[in-house]
Formats: sequence, structure tokens, C-alpha cells
Amino acid sequence: MSGTYGLYVVRQTGIHRLHPLTKLVYVLVCLLIGWLIPGVWSPYIVLLIGVVPVALIARVLPEVIKNTIKTAIPFAISLIIVQGLFWTGGTIVRQLGPFSLKAEGLLFAIRGTGRIILAVSGFLLLNYTTRSDELMLALSQKGLPNSISYVVLSTLQVIPRFQRKANTILDAQRSRGLETEGSYLIRMRALMPLVVPLLLGSIVDIEERAIALEVRAFSREGAKTSLLVLHDTRFQRAIRWLLMLGAMAVIGWRFYLWLAPRLA
Amino acid sequence: MNLSVENISFTYPGGAEALRGVTLDIASGEAVAIVGENGAGKTTLVKHLNGLLKPTRGRVIVGEWDTREHTVAKMAARVGFVFQNPDDQIIERTVGDEVAFGPRQLGQSAPDALANATAALEMVELAAESGTHPYDLTAPQRKLMTLASVLAMRTPVVIFDEPTMGQDARGVALIGNIIETLKSEDRTVIIITHDIDFCADHFERVVAMADGRVLADGPAADVLAQADLLATTNVEPPQLIRLAQALGLPGAPLSTDGFIASLRRRDGTR
Ligand SMILES: Nc1ncnc2c1ncn2[C@@H]1O[C@H](COP(=O)(O)OP(=O)(O)O)[C@@H](O)[C@H]1O
Ligand SMILES: [Mg+2]
Repeated sequence: MSGTYGLYVVRQTGIHRLHPLTKLVYVLVCLLIGWLIPGVWSPYIVLLIGVVPVALIARVLPEVIKNTIKTAIPFAISLIIVQGLFWTGGTIVRQLGPFSLKAEGLLFAIRGTGRIILAVSGFLLLNYTTRSDELMLALSQKGLPNSISYVVLSTLQVIPRFQRKANTILDAQRSRGLETEGSYLIRMRALMPLVVPLLLGSIVDIEERAIALEVRAFSREGAKTSLLVLHDTRFQRAIRWLLMLGAMAVIGWRFYLWLAPRLA
Repeated sequence: MNLSVENISFTYPGGAEALRGVTLDIASGEAVAIVGENGAGKTTLVKHLNGLLKPTRGRVIVGEWDTREHTVAKMAARVGFVFQNPDDQIIERTVGDEVAFGPRQLGQSAPDALANATAALEMVELAAESGTHPYDLTAPQRKLMTLASVLAMRTPVVIFDEPTMGQDARGVALIGNIIETLKSEDRTVIIITHDIDFCADHFERVVAMADGRVLADGPAADVLAQADLLATTNVEPPQLIRLAQALGLPGAPLSTDGFIASLRRRDGTR
């Protein structure tokens, strides 16, 4: 299932049944608020009240947490190293040999990490609960060109396909005696026999997809009839407007905070 | 080389319990066919035999080696595995080099690897294509090349996952010949197949699987004659057995000769 609809995780919950745009707007507004409201901890607060409860209701919280950590940890570590240790000036918290850990750098890294975690978890929440084809249909109904939808949609679908393909290739080559476990050198040597079939396979794949699209009249001009029917409600439309108004208010307020000292 | 599967269970990380307590002993030189409907766990089972998967419970022993204690690459010297899709492994520019890849990985010298590759290509009747680019072969030819790339490793055990799929009658006959050759060399052959007639033609022992378990395991004639058991695995008995049963003949003939013999036995002629 996940191969067909991007990262979609099949669950029967109210969140899954919401109109794709409602979820898209919700996630974008959460990101906006978390990024714009000043304060080191604001991304984390939005994460706790905005993202976590919804993920819980949608029964995808474990998946969201697991994959957010996987994605965010490398960023967090590099941010802490770069900003924490190489911050110029600032208060020294602790001396580590020739390096000094600065409080300001540390706070900056914490906020940066929070922003990344918020963005990644929001993106995952949206994609775990929304079939990518429905999201794209919703966007093209709002005027997004088909070619853009296609690029976004196929990128989402390619990730799980790529992973599955890579695993099959790994199995096939190991079965022919290719050592892939062990030292760095061994793993480097194993790279070519894994990457070559993956790339060649992707080229064949892309060609097949292009042909499949062409025979389905992808490049035809004009409106198309969709077999998918999206359910929207007046309530959800109202919620979306409210969320966007709220976002606007936050932007306005943030702008005022930025402008005020300059006018004084 | 003896294979011993000791009460193994396996659950995929996604959650599917694909094997539920499978026990199987395969002696050196045996030819075993595994049948069963899609999703029965056949591929999952054979992936345990070369260590691609390690059992969640139980253990798999391949000639004294516990698969959990050796890398797949090490196991590859003992168990050859022919995959379904050849395009998942092609890396060389010529058919000859591609087929020599496995032997080279096993540490054979270049001349040895070349000799083994040439012999394997002869077995699949692709010797003339050894200088061709793999992608210039037809799809059924590429599949035969994949088969050759495993034969060239000269492993004591060879596993085929649905080798006859996508082959025409000639290709099927060719694969049948290869299996007979391997048997005559006393190598262990394990095959997964949906082609019951192929299975009846070449395999003395049949294992029927359903829902992660072994339903039946025994001489081909016995297992393939149990129509009701095969029905639960969504497999039909071979044509000859069905014909014999429809005619009320004694026994379960797997070959035309056997069929004629039981026909004569019933009619009381010689
Ligand atoms: N990589 C995988 N991840 C999760 N589940 C899998 C995977 N491969 C197979 N399965 C599941 O395990 C079961 C057995 O699959 P498999 O061994 O491929 O069956 P067969 O080869 O008999 O058709 C099926 O229910 C299948 O969906
Ligand atoms: Mg299979």
C-alpha cells in the first residue's frame, strides 16, 4: 500500500478522512507559528500541542516519532557542534579542551533543532495520514499545474520504491558472495555493485513511467475527469479560513515586533 | 551438504508473521520442490537457507553452520540463490563478466572464474552471447544469465525461486535439463514453483506450504495426489494424476510411462 500512496499509513481514523487541504493548511500553520513566534522553546510547544495530539488521534505517533528522530538527529548534532562551539563571543558554559561551549550558541542550536523537528514531524504527519494522490488532486483542483503535482507525487512515491529496490539488490548481490558487512573498506567496495543496478533500474523505471503516462494522455490539454472524489465540508472550509486568518495574525504580529523597535 | 530447518518462525519488521513453526530436513543431493499459493511463505523460507533472513525463533543449520553466525556472503559459497528479477543484480558490461561476478566474489582466480562462467553459460545455451551487453539480451535470456551466474559459483546447494516463470516451452525444458544435470552431480536442488507439471517431472520430494506452515512433505507422487490437500494450498494436481484419478487408475503416476503402466495394471494386460 505504501508504495502506491507515498508514505501513507493505512488507518481508519477521523484524521485520515479529513480533506487533504485541511491537513495541509493545519500543518503549514503549525510550522509558521512554531517558526515565527519568538522564544527558544516555541517550536517545541507547537510540536507538543499541535502535532503530537493529532498524530496520537491518527494512530501514527510511533511512526512520526521514530522517523523524526532518524531525520533530525544528524541535524541536531551538527547544529550543536557548529553553533555551540563556534559561537563568537557569548557566555562560556563549559570549556572542552581548546573549545568553549557558549550559552547563546547552545540556545540557537536548540531552537534550530526544534524548528527542524517541527518541520519534519509536520511533514510526516501530513503524509502518513493523507494519500498523496488525494493531496495532489486537491491541489490541482485549486489550480496547481499537473506537471508540478506529478513531480511532487512521484518524488513521494519514489522513496519507498527506492528503499525496496535497494534491499532486493542488496540481497541479490550478497547471495552472489558480495561481502557488505564489516570494515569501512569492505563496505566502500560493495558500493558499486549496489548503486549500478539501482541507477540502471531507475532509468528503466522512469522510461516505463513516461510511457505509462503518455498512453494515459498525461500531456493532453484541458481539464481531466478524476476517478477520485474528495469529501469536503463547510465546517472544514471554515476551519481552514480560520487557520489562515490565525496565521496571518501571527505574521502581522511578528512583523510588528520586528518593525516596532525600528520605528521608535 | 545437509540442510536442517529446526522449528523456525519468522516475523517481518512490518508485522506479518510469515513462518509459523517450520521444520524441514534436506539431505545432500536431494531435489525438493516447494509449492503453495502466493503469500504462503515459500520465499521467506528459502531466504532462510542462505541466511538472507535469520529466524525469529528456531535455527537453520547448513552443513554444521548456523546461519546466524555467518554473513550471507560466506553462506554464498555453500548455497546459491537464483533471484526472480535479473535486473536487480546486473553490474558488468558483458554477459561473460556478469556470470563470472559470483565466482570472483568467492575468491576464485580469474582463469577459474572464467572457466566456470563459460561452463555455466554453456548449460543455459548462452555461450555465444558471452561478449554481449546484458541489457541487449531478451528478458527470458537475462533470466537464464542470472541462473548461469549462480551455477558458475558451483555451490553444493542451489535454490531457484520460480525459475520457469516467463520462459517459453524451450526455456522450461532447458531449465529442466539443468536441474537434471545438478541432480546427476549430486548437488542439492530446491525450487519454488507454481508449475506443478514441471515439479512432477523433476522432483522426487514435494513440500506443500500454506499460511506459513508446512502442510505436507513427502514423495512427489503422494503429495501431488492429495487433491483436497492441494486445494487448500490453491495448487492443482498434475494433469496426469488428475487424468488417472478421473479414470479410476491405481497409484499416482507422475510420468507418461507410469500412467501407461497403471492403465495396463487396471486392465489386467501386461
Ligand atoms: N519484505 C517484507 N516485509 C513485510 N512482509 C513481507 C515481506 N515479504 C513478504 N512479506 C509477507 O510475508 C508473507 C509471505 O510472503 P512470501 O514468503 O513472499 O510468500 P510466497 O513466496 O509464498 O508467495 C506474505 O504475507 C507477505 O505479504
Ligand atoms: Mg515468492
